[in-house]
Amino acid sequence: MADPLVSALKIASSGMEAQSTRLRIVSENVANAETTGKTPGADPYVRKTVTFAATLDEVTGANLVRVGDIGTDKSAFESAYDPGNPAADANGYVKRPNVNMLTEMMDMREANRSYEANIQVVKQAREIINMTIDLLRS
Amino acid sequence: MDQVYLFSLTSKQADWLAHRQALIAENVANVNSPGYSAKELTPFAEVLNNTALAQRSSNPMHMVGYGGATAETEATQAATWDVKHSGNTVVVEQEMMKAGEVARDYSLNTSVVKSFHRMVMMTLRG
Repeated sequence: MADPLVSALKIASSGMEAQSTRLRIVSENVANAETTGKTPGADPYVRKTVTFAATLDEVTGANLVRVGDIGTDKSAFESAYDPGNPAADANGYVKRPNVNMLTEMMDMREANRSYEANIQVVKQAREIINMTIDLLRS
Repeated sequence: MDQVYLFSLTSKQADWLAHRQALIAENVANVNSPGYSAKELTPFAEVLNNTALAQRSSNPMHMVGYGGATAETEATQAATWDVKHSGNTVVVEQEMMKAGEVARDYSLNTSVVKSFHRMVMMTLRG
């Protein structure tokens, strides 16, 4: 049987890993917020989404969190009038990525906050382990 | 000192607190998993009161969460403050509060063990 405090550390680090994957996806979206297609009428960058799922770890029996699926946002592209752009169609309209900066910033903040919460749990579990070790010193 | 089962009681509570910390870690890690519902252990006082025969997981194949459970520490769905749009019921603030509670209780627990140990040693040295 696994020690619950050790599995607490493992669970929290799985949460941190999942949140950092989410942050990576956010940074991909933000970096490609202006990426249009190359040929006339081509589709631009499609916003990526990330989902989490609880999975049972068979070794410790703990419910870890894993990145379930990295999908794409199905919402429609915006179009802007820019006839000089190489990706402009016959009418001079360019399809622009469906990335909303406000949504991405929100997502980033939330990932950050969840990451911090996981760090707090790690700190506390470590503190408890230290308290137990201190018993030997008295 | 045999009449006072303090060491057994404190180690029981330490075990319960460690399981609770693992459960809090689980809840916090799954704060953004859709459809996940927050879990909570049976209160410690209830664990001590409950002397009835309970079902046990006698085989490691019996499915349990939170890092290997015993029959004394059974997880149930927690009543939380809020349910999110995705069906997730974890509230980070509440979990942080619970984690603080665990740390406080554990600190009390180890302090009790320390002072009781000192008392025993005092008796031995005379």
